[in-house]
Formats: sequence, structure tokens, C-alpha cells
Amino acid sequence: MSAFDAIVVGGGVIGTQAAYHLFKEGLEVALVERYDIADGTSSHCDAVVLIGDKMPGIDTEQGYASIQRFKEIVQEVPYDFEFKVRGLLYVCETEPEMEAAAGYVADQVRDGYDMQMLDTKDILAREPYLAKDLIGGFWSSADATLNPYKLCYALVNHMRAQGAKIYDRTNVTGVLLDEKRRVKGVETDRGTLLAKNVINCGGAWAPELARMAGCDLPIQPRKGLCLISEKAFPICSQKVQEFGYMMSKFEGINFTRNVSERVARTNVAMVIEPTDADNFILGGNREFKGFDISAEIESIQAIAERGIRFFPILREMNLIRAYAGVRPYMPDHLPVVSEVDNVPGYYIAAGHEGDGISLSAITGKMIAQLVTGKPTDFNIDKLKYSRLQKGGKSIEQ
Amino acid sequence: MAQNKWEVVVVGGGPAGLSAAIEAAKSGCRTLVVDANETAGGQLFKQIHKFFGSSAHRAGVRGIDIGGELLAECEKQGVEVWLNSVAIGLFKEKTVAVERGFDNGAKSVVVLEADRIVLASGASENAVRFRGWTLPGVMGAGAAQTMINVNRVLPGKNVLMIGSGNVGLIVSYQLMQAGADVKALVEAAPKIGGYAVHASKIARAGVPIHTGHTVLEARGDRRVEEADICAVDEKWQPLLETKKTLAVDTVTIAAGLKPLVELAMMHDCQMMFHPVLGGWAPLHDAKMETTSPGIYVAGDISGVEEANTALEEGKLAGISAAESLGKIGEADADRIRSEIWGRLDGLRLGPHGVMRMQAKSEQIDHYKSAQSA
Repeated sequence: MSAFDAIVVGGGVIGTQAAYHLFKEGLEVALVERYDIADGTSSHCDAVVLIGDKMPGIDTEQGYASIQRFKEIVQEVPYDFEFKVRGLLYVCETEPEMEAAAGYVADQVRDGYDMQMLDTKDILAREPYLAKDLIGGFWSSADATLNPYKLCYALVNHMRAQGAKIYDRTNVTGVLLDEKRRVKGVETDRGTLLAKNVINCGGAWAPELARMAGCDLPIQPRKGLCLISEKAFPICSQKVQEFGYMMSKFEGINFTRNVSERVARTNVAMVIEPTDADNFILGGNREFKGFDISAEIESIQAIAERGIRFFPILREMNLIRAYAGVRPYMPDHLPVVSEVDNVPGYYIAAGHEGDGISLSAITGKMIAQLVTGKPTDFNIDKLKYSRLQKGGKSIEQ
Repeated sequence: MAQNKWEVVVVGGGPAGLSAAIEAAKSGCRTLVVDANETAGGQLFKQIHKFFGSSAHRAGVRGIDIGGELLAECEKQGVEVWLNSVAIGLFKEKTVAVERGFDNGAKSVVVLEADRIVLASGASENAVRFRGWTLPGVMGAGAAQTMINVNRVLPGKNVLMIGSGNVGLIVSYQLMQAGADVKALVEAAPKIGGYAVHASKIARAGVPIHTGHTVLEARGDRRVEEADICAVDEKWQPLLETKKTLAVDTVTIAAGLKPLVELAMMHDCQMMFHPVLGGWAPLHDAKMETTSPGIYVAGDISGVEEANTALEEGKLAGISAAESLGKIGEADADRIRSEIWGRLDGLRLGPHGVMRMQAKSEQIDHYKSAQSA
């Protein structure tokens, strides 16, 4: 039986970042992962670390802080994970989109972020292969990209080299509590691990882990599909998204896009980015299909159709692969980064939906602050688990 | 979305696919063959050499002529054949997405619904990795054979062949017939892998065959200009002091084939690894049906063998698909299948054949235990 200061459950971006930051604080850390490192969402997603896809306020603040934290991690960890700040270009198809974009940019600029509205000429100067009939867009300079798979392994390899315990292929089957419902450790299929702190970083699978501690967590898997092109010359040089992406992410924004029935039905919005290997990742969509991550032909076609709408040259390119993953969706679009009041020692960092890669650095840092009793970089009262219990929805016995 | 319904969709128009389609169509199934190439017939059209074996198995006939016969029979039986058409995915409920090519060069994605699917996608060539293996001029021996015998393009003038199985030996000879100079053939094993009759043909023509040798590196400015070979010790480690440099512009690799199984994997067909059959291949029963009901396999996708076994497996799949659609009675289907299995047993003789027969029966045994599990 091994004893630790903290056990992190989940080997994706959130779990590896949480473990890394706890480890940096000098804690004895064990990272436990059911399958391989980055086996779930972190290897079935795209590569973005953005602020320009986040709501003004705490959402954007955290995104920005996370990018700054990533710049430090690049220096701290001796493994490359393809982190680059290269900005984000949004493009608009219609006047109502331009208006909504202008409002969004005004809010963000007021909060101090570097964003600017662009007209057709400006966006074509940045990306000459865009369709010529787009009416404009905006540019956000702070946005970054990285390889999430390499990020997880960079952190894990670094920690392992420094003596942290990485238990991959180890399935947590229960949470051990004492008579006062304080955390004592976890039971796994390969033995018991003891610690006074357990952090649930299970992403879309966090609810089943939470139930082991008697906690209800309303995270649902929200599927997204990516297409990978063959290698080519640079048809785009940074992340490019249609403004309608915001629509597919937040149901609350109220405008209708000028799209085909297939694109509407599959909830597709164009996002594209180049990779280090000169392929292009084209996405994306958001659908509720349970944990089914099969690449469906209708969604593949809809994403291709929407991609060609914005980058007509894609019609000439071959698709070499398609894959889907599931995002951990929270109904209120805010993650849970929190202690659990009536299970002392139990923490949750999950539910980032499509922002997990982006927010992983700051989330890991703040979880370490919570566990070690330090003040968090941000006021994260809005991310507390207790917000979910107010409606009396706890399933505690 | 364009919808297209078929009773039987066959993916791959090589010997296995065409013979499956002929049997299905003969029994009255509305049958479509989808093939990625400009002409159907698969590898048959590059086999300008005569087949070996007994007269029942077309010995003495050239592959290219068998291909022509199959295509004529498909036409007679009303099989529709889509050429330049790539099956890009197999989805739930037996839907097949096809990027269909048209005569004018246009392409569009069509989603087909199939009552039964026969996967006859064949095999792909194994790579051998060495320094410079991605340089232009390094290619599969099968690719070189397609270039000379189908496209009539000489891949290079001076060739180093890697591998002494029948493909390496036959393609070496055909490259010489096409006007190339085969500078050497290297084989890491201590003995030549293919038939002596093919080996002696190229040895007589003056090609040095270096057994116990491997390729170390290919070099050149934007394409292969020279390659290093050397001897290997009994643990397959290169003996660098024996290194020789050959002036070649082409390195062809004949290191065996592996089943092209991606479509079967997309439909969650259960797989089994067997080295004799080239690696991972779908489990199937004696009717060639996989663990996904209604999805059949035939030919190299079900384990790498050769054209004659592919032809027979195709027939098994075609007849079984037709039977399951009620187009042919069980008794008739059983009788025909037992004749086919008799011929297959005849093809799986000799030291290599027996290993394949054993491997194929293991596949069927595993299928049974997978089904009862």
C-alpha cells in the first residue's frame, strides 16, 4: 500500500496539469489513469489555446492567464509540445454576424485584450485562400496553439523523471472515506493507494468517478469530429474560425446562419488550423451522441462542405483521416474547479467542454493552490461544485 | 444526400471481388463492384507471367487473361462496376461511403446502403525502413510492377531489389524485360525465399543475388542516386565492414504483404493476428462471413494468399451472400461450397500451403469461439 499527499485521477490534459502543479508544490503525487496517458479527449481533439472563443469576463481572463502559464511551462519542461502564439482569425459571412462580432470585440477590447475588426481586404491579406465574398472578421493576437497529446506526455515524462508515480493502465474502482467522510485514498484494480487528497480530473468520465465519492456531476459527453488533410503548402497560417462557431458553442447566442440543412443538423462550424507536419485540422461540430466516437459520414460531409465554403481550395485536397472525441459538457458552460464541501479532501477539475486544452495550465495551477490552501489566482467562486448543490440535486446518502 | 440501395456491394474488383460479384449476380442479386483503379481486375492485370499449379487452377494461363475473362463474365451477369471509385468508409447499418469517379474526371461522394457487403480490398505492401527510405525512387516492388506492366512507365534504370520472395524474383525479371538493369537483389535470410525456377531465371540473366544481406541506406539529391548494402550476422545485425555502395536510382521493396483491413475494422469486425496470413485479418466462418453479420471477406483481406485462393474465396462469399438473401437454397449453396472447399484444400498443399491451410482453419475456429462467447 503506497501513501501520497495527493492522487490525481485522469491522465488527460487536466489531470497531467493538476499532477504537475501539485508536484511542483513539492507534494508526493500519484497520477492514476485507467488506460494510457492522453487516451481520451486529449488525443481526440484539435490543438487550440484560445481566448477569442471565450465569453468576456472570467472565461477569457482564465484563457489569457492559461496562455501566459503555458509560456512558463515551455521553459520548465524539457520536452517540446509545439506551443506557439500565432493568433486567431475570425471570419464573418453576414452583416448580423459582423454586428455580433463587433459587440464581442468591443467588450474584449474594453477588458484590455488585443482584438481588432477587419474588413474583406484585411482578412484576405492575412489569408489569401479565403473565399472572396466574406464581409470581414476580427483578429485576436494573444491566441495560441499546441499539441495536446505531446503536452500530456511532456508533463508525465518530466514528472516521472523527477520521481512522481504514474499509474497508467490502472482503474480506480472506489474512493476510500473515513467515518467523517474524509478522503483516505482510492481503491484500484491494482491495489489501494492512500492520500488525504484525491482530485477527479476525469473529463467526460468524471461523473462515474464522482459517484464513487457520493457526488452527482451533470457532465455530459459532447461529441466533436475533426478531419485531417493531406500535407500541403500553407493554405492557412493560423487558426481560422467562422464567427458562427460561437453559435455552435453557446446555444444562447441568438442568430441564424446561412447554412445548408445538413450543416445545421450536424451543428457544424468551420475551424481550421495548420499542424507542425503541414497537414490541416478541419472541424468541427458539437453533438450529443453519448460516448459513441465513430466518425459519421454525414458529419464528415458537413464539415467538408463548410470548410470548402470558407476555403474553396479544400475541394482540391484529400482527406486522409477523420476522428471524433467527446468534450466534457457542463449545462452552464462553466467547468467545476473546486473542493467538495462535505467530502473533505475530494476535489473536482472537470467539465471544460471545448476549453480543456486551453484552460488546462491555469486549472492545474489553481487546483494545486486549492489543495495546498493558498489563494487562487482568480476568484473561482463561480466554478465551485457547491453551485450545483443549491437546487438540492446532491445524491449523497 | 444521394441514396443508393444495392443487394450486394463488393469493395474491390480484383479476383476475389469479381468472382464474388459474378456468383451473387448469377443468383439474381443486384450487385455493384466499387474499385479504386482505372480498370478492374486488381493485381491480375500486372501478372503477365503464367500461373503455376494444376490445370484445374489455371496453370499456364497468364493473370492478365484471367482478369479479362472475369470482367467479361461480370458484364454478362449484369454486375455494375464503378471504376476510379474509392470506398472511403464503412459505417453503421451497412452503409458504404464511396468517392465515385466519373468518366469526365468528376468525383462525388455517394452513400450506398447495402443488404450485404463483400470486402475484397486486397493487401498492401510492407515497408522496410532504412536511412533514406522516404526518398523518391524507393518504392514497393508491387508499385514498380504496376508502373511497368500497367502504366508502361519505367520507374528507373538501375534497380536494387530488396527481398527474394516470388514477388521480388518475378518483378526483378519483369523490370529487366521492361528495360531496367537490376544491379542486385538482397535477401536478409540465408536462403532465397521464392521458387527456384524464378530465382534461376534472374541468376542466369546475370543478377547477383546476395543472401544474408540487407540495405543500409539510400542517398541522393531529391531522389535515389546510390544505395549501401551489407552482410548481416546470424542475429540479423549489419556487418558494416562488408558495406558496398551500388549506383542505383531505384530501390524496390518486396517484403511481403499485409491484409488491407481498415474497412473491416471500421465496422468492428473482430480480428486475429496470424503471421502466416500477413498479420491482422478479420475472423470469418466457412461462408466467409465476418463477426459483423452481413459483411463478408474474400481474398487477401482475409489473409494474404494468392490469386487462385482469392478466386475461390470470392465464390464462397458471393454464394453465401446470395443464400442469406434467399436467392439460392441452402442445399444448393452447401453443395457448391463443399466443392469450393475441396478446391481450396487442393490449393493449400505443399509446405507453404499447409501452413496457410492451418492458419485459415485457426481463423474459422476463432470465429466460432468469438460467436459462442
